[in-house]
Amino acid sequence: MASLKGVPLLELQGDIDHSNCGAVETALSEILNDGAQVVLLDFSRVTYLDSGGICVLLSGCRRARDSGWLGVIDPNQNVRRLLEIVGLLVDPGFRVFDDRPAAEAALSGALSQEEET
Amino acid sequence: MTASLPPEIHRAIKVGASTACLAEIRRFVEEVGVEVALDLERIFDLKVAVSEACANAVEHAGCDAMSLDVCARLQARRLTFTVTDTGLFRPPSPRWDRVSSRGLGLPLMVALMDEVTFVRTPGGGTAVSLSVLLDRDMSPPA
Repeated sequence: MASLKGVPLLELQGDIDHSNCGAVETALSEILNDGAQVVLLDFSRVTYLDSGGICVLLSGCRRARDSGWLGVIDPNQNVRRLLEIVGLLVDPGFRVFDDRPAAEAALSGALSQEEET
Repeated sequence: MTASLPPEIHRAIKVGASTACLAEIRRFVEEVGVEVALDLERIFDLKVAVSEACANAVEHAGCDAMSLDVCARLQARRLTFTVTDTGLFRPPSPRWDRVSSRGLGLPLMVALMDEVTFVRTPGGGTAVSLSVLLDRDMSPPA
C-alpha cells in the first residue's frame, strides 16, 4: 500500500466504470475499516469515471466525513467536471488537489493544526 | 470546416448486456464523435451518458444472455445515440438505489446531454435516446 506522509494512497489507472468499480470500493473500504481518517486517491492516470466510480467516492466520502476526508489527486478536466456536477467538490468530506505536493501541503497543515490543539 | 462534415451518418453495434461491454461501447461512441468532429469534452460527455444508459439497461436485462443495441444517428446537425434493451422494464426501487449507483445515472445523463428521452418499446424493452446539438457551442458565422 502506497502512502503520502503516512496517509494511505490508492493509485488508480485507466477507466473506472461499472465493470471494475467494485474492486476500488473493496480497496477503499478496507482502508477505512482499518481506521484511516484521511484517504488519498491518485487519479493522475485515471482516464474515465462513470456513476459506478462516483458512487464509490460518494460512499467513501460519507464514511470519512465525520472525522476526516477523502482526497483525489490530479483528476483530468473531464473527471473533475463530473465530480462538480454531482456536488462532490463542495462536500466537506471531499477534497481535490492539483498534484501530490499540494496534497502533501494540505496534510502538513492538518497535522500542524492537530499539534496546536 | 463544417462543410466537410458528413451531413448524415448511421452506425450501430450490438453487444452483450454486461458491464464488461461498456468499454467497447465507449470506443464506439468515441469513433462516432471523432467522425463528426466533436470536441473531446463533448465526446467524454457522450461516453458517460451512453455508458450510463447501457449500465441501466444491463440492470433491466438481468442476465448476460441478452443483448443491447446501440445506434448512432446524425441528422440535421443533431447527434443521437439510442440504447435499446429487450429486458422487462423495472421501475426504480428505492431499496436498490441506495446500494447501487442507479440513482446517479439519470441525473448525469440529463446534466451532460442536450436532450434525453425514454421510450418503452413494444416488446417490453426500453429505448433511451441521448442527443447533442452540434451547433450548440459554435460561434456565429463571420
